[in-house]
Amino acid sequence: MKKIKVTLLDIVEEIKSFYDYKKWHFLTINGVALQDNMLEVQWIFSKYETLEEIVIFYVEIQYEDIIPSIVNIIPSAIISQRELVDMFGVEVEGSAKGLYLDKDSIQMPLRGCLL
Amino acid sequence: MKKTINIPLGSQHISLLEPVRFKFECENEKIVGVDSDVGFVHRGIEKACTTKFKYDGIGYVVARVCGLCAITHSLSYTVAIEELLNIEVTSKAKYLRILLLELDRIHSHMLCLSHTCENAGFEAMFMRIMGDRELIMEIQELLTGNRIQFDYINIGGVNRDINLEVATKIVNNLDRVKEKVMGYVDEFTNNWSLSLKFKRIGALSLDDAYKFNAIGPLARASGLNIDVRNEIKYLPYHEIGFKMQTHIDGDINARNIVRLNEILNSIEMCDNILAGIPEGEIQTKYKGKPNGESVVRFEAPRGELMYYVKANGTAMLERVRIKTPTFASIPAFSHIFMGENYADAPAILASFDPCLSCTAK
Repeated sequence: MKKIKVTLLDIVEEIKSFYDYKKWHFLTINGVALQDNMLEVQWIFSKYETLEEIVIFYVEIQYEDIIPSIVNIIPSAIISQRELVDMFGVEVEGSAKGLYLDKDSIQMPLRGCLL
Repeated sequence: MKKTINIPLGSQHISLLEPVRFKFECENEKIVGVDSDVGFVHRGIEKACTTKFKYDGIGYVVARVCGLCAITHSLSYTVAIEELLNIEVTSKAKYLRILLLELDRIHSHMLCLSHTCENAGFEAMFMRIMGDRELIMEIQELLTGNRIQFDYINIGGVNRDINLEVATKIVNNLDRVKEKVMGYVDEFTNNWSLSLKFKRIGALSLDDAYKFNAIGPLARASGLNIDVRNEIKYLPYHEIGFKMQTHIDGDINARNIVRLNEILNSIEMCDNILAGIPEGEIQTKYKGKPNGESVVRFEAPRGELMYYVKANGTAMLERVRIKTPTFASIPAFSHIFMGENYADAPAILASFDPCLSCTAK
């Protein structure tokens, strides 16, 4: 597993230059709550037909930061982006709230995991 | 000006007894727009894993994500923890893990094939396959104590050993299932009525399979060589005769054929395991608490299942992330529906083999 730290400003360009859709399989977007109101957001990829080659791009952000969308590069990422919005209560460009959680559910349930 | 009507499929629908809703925008019979909603019964299992349970009990919690593929969930989580604790599982435990994984795949694929037939109006075939599936459920119960939702995997190995009587019963039942499946192959390949319902319906091209990151039988039916069994080091799949099954048509028929061939390959692998299962312990002792991050994938019957675990050296984990196959495939599902007839939607949906229990983790 290879982890690559990037900045929020660069994440779209980094993924754009990295992602060859016939070579890399997009797994998901993951959020990990950190201390001090911070969130680690991970974009996880695996290489087709290769033994255990996993690459994670990650950024550390404040919950108020707006996360750019990668849907123009990876259309199927929309589902993971919307899950991140519901689970952590963050804003991801072009990703509406409410795919996973109804209005009467507990909102952003994973935000306070370390609190 | 175009006139369209909106027709929902779900959240409660006779073709799928699980809560998902697709809203189809139709021009006459043709689907021209798709919207999906999966947010009906979110259970908060990821949250529970980090707040309610210690790391050594979570394998049994995540087995409750899905009754059908409980083994893949508990195994993925357990291997993620074993990676963090540097536990080397015995060969015997590895072979027993594969045995149950493949038995689970066989019965899950049979369930999907039967539902696909039912939704296409072929109820006799549905009954036949469901009846034959009992042969697998029976041996799963013998091996683990449960028909589904097995608590078979634990950190360091498996919970039950296999004896000669159970092994013989498994071999006998698998022989019978193999014979039945050969009959299905003939039926699915040559039955004219089925071909009208399944061929050239709900197709996904290879290029779109790549673009939408399709996984599991859905991807392999479009010719995409993705099978996690081919990409992992945790289990010795290549020693027991694993062969990736693909097709090129990408339609419902291709998905059915891929699943049938995978059942036959799984039976072959189970036979090979039982013919040469190693001697030894089924459990490795371990010490310590997990620390660090790990990402582990396994091939569930519906495709790639991923677990991300972050631990901090205590008994409580910081994060457990579960990426389930159906949830990840929803963009591909929506794409496939476009341009199809609404009347074919139930059969197409069943051919995806969606699992909303996994999705609403």
